[in-house]
Amino acid sequence: MKRFYFEKEKLSSEEFYVPLHKRASVRDVVSIGFGLFVVTYLVIFFLISITNSFIKDPMKVDIQHMFMPPSIEHIFGTDFLGRDIFSRIVKGTEAFFLPGILSIAISTTFGLLFGVISGYYSKTISSIIFYFLNIIDSIPRFILILIVIVIFNPSIYLIMLFVGVTSIPKVSSYIKSKVDTLKKQRFIEACRALGLSERSIIFKHIIWISSRSVLIIRATLGMGETILIETSLSYLGIGVQEPIPSWGNMVAMGKDFFFQGKIWLSTIPALVILITIMGLYLLGDGLNSIFNERVSR
Amino acid sequence: MLRILRLLVREVFYTVLLILGVTALLSLLFRLMPGTISFEKNWLNEYLKLLQRVFTFNFGVSPVSGLNINQVVFPAFKNTFILTFGAILISVTISVPIGIFSAYRSFRGISWPLTMFSYIVSSIPVFFLGYLVIYLFTRYSNFIPIYSATLENKRQLLAYILPILVLGLGNDSVSEFVRIISDELSRVMSTDYVVASKARGESVIRSSVMEGILIPLVTIIFSRIPFLIGGAIIVEYVFNWPGMGRLAFQSALNRDLPVLVVIAFLSVLFVRGGMIIKDIILGFIIPQEM
Repeated sequence: MKRFYFEKEKLSSEEFYVPLHKRASVRDVVSIGFGLFVVTYLVIFFLISITNSFIKDPMKVDIQHMFMPPSIEHIFGTDFLGRDIFSRIVKGTEAFFLPGILSIAISTTFGLLFGVISGYYSKTISSIIFYFLNIIDSIPRFILILIVIVIFNPSIYLIMLFVGVTSIPKVSSYIKSKVDTLKKQRFIEACRALGLSERSIIFKHIIWISSRSVLIIRATLGMGETILIETSLSYLGIGVQEPIPSWGNMVAMGKDFFFQGKIWLSTIPALVILITIMGLYLLGDGLNSIFNERVSR
Repeated sequence: MLRILRLLVREVFYTVLLILGVTALLSLLFRLMPGTISFEKNWLNEYLKLLQRVFTFNFGVSPVSGLNINQVVFPAFKNTFILTFGAILISVTISVPIGIFSAYRSFRGISWPLTMFSYIVSSIPVFFLGYLVIYLFTRYSNFIPIYSATLENKRQLLAYILPILVLGLGNDSVSEFVRIISDELSRVMSTDYVVASKARGESVIRSSVMEGILIPLVTIIFSRIPFLIGGAIIVEYVFNWPGMGRLAFQSALNRDLPVLVVIAFLSVLFVRGGMIIKDIILGFIIPQEM
């Protein structure tokens, strides 16, 4: 993986400053638009759910209206206790939004730190850092999460902290390869010749240039990863626990009624997950092809 | 040959170093667990004991279930190996044509829905895909068995199909493969030597297949192994597949940390073994790189 990214960067790093408007194709615009739509509704859902307004009570049990198919009153229908599925979906954003931001913050901050240090300074330091990063990288993430759950308690914030830690190696190897190519560019040499301090070269010309695209792309992909991990853990029963809604445990609870033909219970949350993750991936991809010097076709 | 041998020695040495680090990390975590009965006061002694067990492949008896860990873990490891190997084959056979299609300019019209298909398939939660497949196959056809505990006759081998299919389709591998292959292939196809061979009237795909498909494919396949093990946990749980992931989950529920440590160790070996194989294959494909 590492070698592959090195290759890619080496070959395409010459054209760093190409204006945006020359690069975006229709396909990228469509994917970014779709991704922004997804991000918008995620933020709106989160704001609605923390202010507790505009929606029906997601916890209110209504035995008389169990298993209602989607109608005008309940847009997405009701579940096995008569709770409104739409408001549970809105409320369910709380389960991953802040933990996801925590994991993204950890992975990008430390990834940036280690990447820049190992890219800019000597080879010994970088091999020591990458030894520790490889240790984290070679334990499969899910097994590490299971070990953490055994040792500590299954809190979603703790799990997301470890998810953030496990994605540090990816970010830092990417940034290291970027810094490696940047270091050899002419303008860094010119900065040195002009007598700029080492600190301002690193902060202004290396970190800012190398990281601004990576950070945005990592943020979108990291949010998608967080949602997938939260759903998988809730499905296994070790994530968010039942009365509190989360997208994962809604699908997991609904699956018991899947074989009875009441498919909307789990299909609608699964569709929401699908659209959200697809939008985030498409956003990351579109941004990637705009920021990252993809060869013009 | 000497070059490959040197590479092999270096990688094995690095893997041993990594295993030392991983076991140190795991035994440190082990000590953090509240309520652990620690036989050794000194951490170093405990760590050396763990190392001794790891390097002799003799893991002893689990204190929770009372079973011999070797007899529990290794059959499960074999099942997971079959599952991940088959899943990789499925993902490759699906994603390589889509990647090639979307790299060609003339196929843009067809490739857009195919790429969207790869995105959709990878964004479905794996367990939901599993339930969907079980639902469809039990309701509308009786041909493929969902689960079989033993493999007595040939027909029960068919029970391998569905889990492998679900893990190969879902779990985000297809879209990642497609993305990497199409990016690399379109980069290679616009390089000078491919343009030149196009001008000479040669088949472009044959000249660019090596650099554009094989190298990214080999790199991405072997670096996907950790993710595949993670996805295997879910798929094994859905299909009741007696593999390592389900065992890991069960021992997590039982707070059976020794088994979990052995599973982590085996999966690190699996991941690093994949890396070594990848480096050797790349050494054969691009000898000048090594």
